[in-house]
Amino acid sequence: MENLDVIQKVVVLLGCLYLSWRIIRYLWSFLDVEKDPLIVLVTGAAGQIGYALVPMIARGAMLGSDQPVILHMLDIEPAADILQGVKMELMDGAFPLLKGVMATTDVNEACKGVDIAIMLGGFPRRKGMATKALISKNVGIYKTQASALEQHADPNCKVLVVANPANTNALILKEFAPSIPEENITCLTRLDHNRALSQISENLNVHVGDVKNVIIWGNHSSTQYVDANHALVDIGVGHKSVKELVANNHWLDSEFITSVQQRGDAIVKARRLSSALSAASAACDHMRDWILGTPKGTWVSMGVYSDGSYGIQPGLIYSFPVTCEKGVWSIVQGLTIGEFEREKMDASARELIEEKTWAYSCLH
Amino acid sequence: MPFESMAIAGTTLLPLGNGSTDGFSSVIFFTTNDGDIGLNSILALTQSVTYPQQKVFPLLIFIVFIAFCISNLVSPLRSPAMAKDPVRVLVTGAAGQIGYALVPMIARGIMLGADQPVILHMLDIPPAAEALNGVKMELVDAAFPLLKGVVATTDAVEACTGVNVAVMVGGFPRKEGMERKDVMSKNVSIYKSQASALEKHAAANCKVLVVANPANTNALILKEFAPSIPEKNITCLTRLDHNRALGQISEKLGVQVSDVKNVIIWGNHSSTQYPDVTHATVGDKSVPELVKDDEWLKSGFISTVQQRGAAIIKARKLSSALSAASSACDHIRDWVCGTPEGTWVSMGVYSDGSYNVPAGLIYSFPVTCRNGEWTIVQGLSIDEFSRKKLDLTAEELSEEKALAYSCLS
Repeated sequence: MENLDVIQKVVVLLGCLYLSWRIIRYLWSFLDVEKDPLIVLVTGAAGQIGYALVPMIARGAMLGSDQPVILHMLDIEPAADILQGVKMELMDGAFPLLKGVMATTDVNEACKGVDIAIMLGGFPRRKGMATKALISKNVGIYKTQASALEQHADPNCKVLVVANPANTNALILKEFAPSIPEENITCLTRLDHNRALSQISENLNVHVGDVKNVIIWGNHSSTQYVDANHALVDIGVGHKSVKELVANNHWLDSEFITSVQQRGDAIVKARRLSSALSAASAACDHMRDWILGTPKGTWVSMGVYSDGSYGIQPGLIYSFPVTCEKGVWSIVQGLTIGEFEREKMDASARELIEEKTWAYSCLH
Repeated sequence: MPFESMAIAGTTLLPLGNGSTDGFSSVIFFTTNDGDIGLNSILALTQSVTYPQQKVFPLLIFIVFIAFCISNLVSPLRSPAMAKDPVRVLVTGAAGQIGYALVPMIARGIMLGADQPVILHMLDIPPAAEALNGVKMELVDAAFPLLKGVVATTDAVEACTGVNVAVMVGGFPRKEGMERKDVMSKNVSIYKSQASALEKHAAANCKVLVVANPANTNALILKEFAPSIPEKNITCLTRLDHNRALGQISEKLGVQVSDVKNVIIWGNHSSTQYPDVTHATVGDKSVPELVKDDEWLKSGFISTVQQRGAAIIKARKLSSALSAASSACDHIRDWVCGTPEGTWVSMGVYSDGSYNVPAGLIYSFPVTCRNGEWTIVQGLSIDEFSRKKLDLTAEELSEEKALAYSCLS
């Protein structure tokens, strides 16, 4: 009986101490200490994707509705007036989270103190332009931007490359900014990931928010492999595999992949302009999940520096399934890869190696 | 934080202290709307009666503590995000620039709140049907969790069915060399037909925001031809100018734009609009005092705000879609969710004679909003300079109203 008494007293005491601590924390939160603003750089900000992206950043869609931001917008000299117009509009928006806007054509000024960099700017693909030509035009741009970032940005700066060829641009950036940690340089495949989710949701007639865990493997190009083998649908009481639910498995291996790949063209055909809205939204999703973490049991696709996982040659920027926690991504390990998948993944890796070789040859 | 409310923590500590604070805490429990507290409070209140037995007292505390832990572990599992019913939002002219900037904002919950699911209805004219479909495809691709459905159509009836909020961005744009009468007559017929579609098919208490210019007069026509929509539900956008005025003051004074408040835009959303800072404040200081430049406030400032749209077109070679979309979101959000205490905003609303403005016009006033209703801020002093300006813009609106009616007959 004595022991029971002591135990009771100890438990209650611990409980009280813990709860007192929680009360103090709660009262402290009333002091409403605002977070320090983060500096977000958007290159190519005068363009379409930039115009869709900057209000999303200013409203907290990228970093959370309690995170103040300072926007640095960079573009080339011919676009200086347009960039100024965007800055005027951002001021007119009276965004409470936007603590400052810089619109400049000077890459060094733009990169000062940057915590997050979204690289939309790059030489665009002209009609009939081969990928090799596109790479050679962009290599020079990304080499310059790499040194500017390395010299002026925050040492732990997180980078997202959107401009195509995204993977190879990101690789060049990494090679010429060696002091930026290699895990901080990524490229965008979240748009294709989101498109894959929406194709499945249309096919199964469910809400897109209930579909998860597709994977985009490889290069953000026509060799990307859209893999729904591990995708799940939330049916209210748990999850069901998409493979089971899709009536026609053949669809997953053929039409599904092509419809995701060609979605960009379909939108250009309809709008007569490229898909700025969804690209900007995907960029926000990519950054937000990276920094704030992915929900439990969900993974997303990011183009990241390969470390040899899944037999992919290390030293490439390759899109993998990743989970994110506390600002760090990690590749989801242990997924089963069948023969069909293996072939597709290797084909994309081969293309990336080719692009890498070609890019290096352009530099010499 | 794994626990919902810290009031629970407080109640659990009470038995260990004296019962004197029980009274206050009991009030808190029942006002914080948390079912878990009820259990704990009842158990805690029993402790205010001191038990003579030494053994029972700690045992009861122990039970309270366990009950608290269990209730907090259980509550997150109990109700996974009680989702609200989706609200239907109509955007006309959705294939255009402002529409393209606006729809992702709506889909992200910027217009109605991050916990309010929405169904988007997008309407445009047949030549823009493909572009509209492209926008729908992009919205689906963006995988917005709050967006529960998208309807992209060229049929006004389908678009208006069941809508709770209507943002009218569509209208006939002024082309080069067009007379005001021509623009007016084209828009009057558009808004007459949209008025009947809304009246017949929209949900009861549908809130309408007219953006397309001439915004005030388009809104008036909409009101006249949709008599069953309450007149207080039809408004026009002057929030863009309001936000621009805030931006100009914040730049002039070198302060954050979120620290400036209570500017007013009076009147017509045109070159006769009157941006008024006599009652604007930064913190608890009045803006005219801080600026110390009445000359600028009466001339340079006013013309900058009035001509900001043209300045942006000059820079971007396109009109100000981003800020227009953003201010439309602000207008609806403050209307539906309420304005912060001590702050007012500018909305073009049906005038009731306040401030000697003729009744029966859609005129921009300073308003506060609460429970989904706006109320004109009364009792603000109007000096002579402002009086002239207010009357000038009212005159223009009366003229536009006469012109619009003449186009109909």
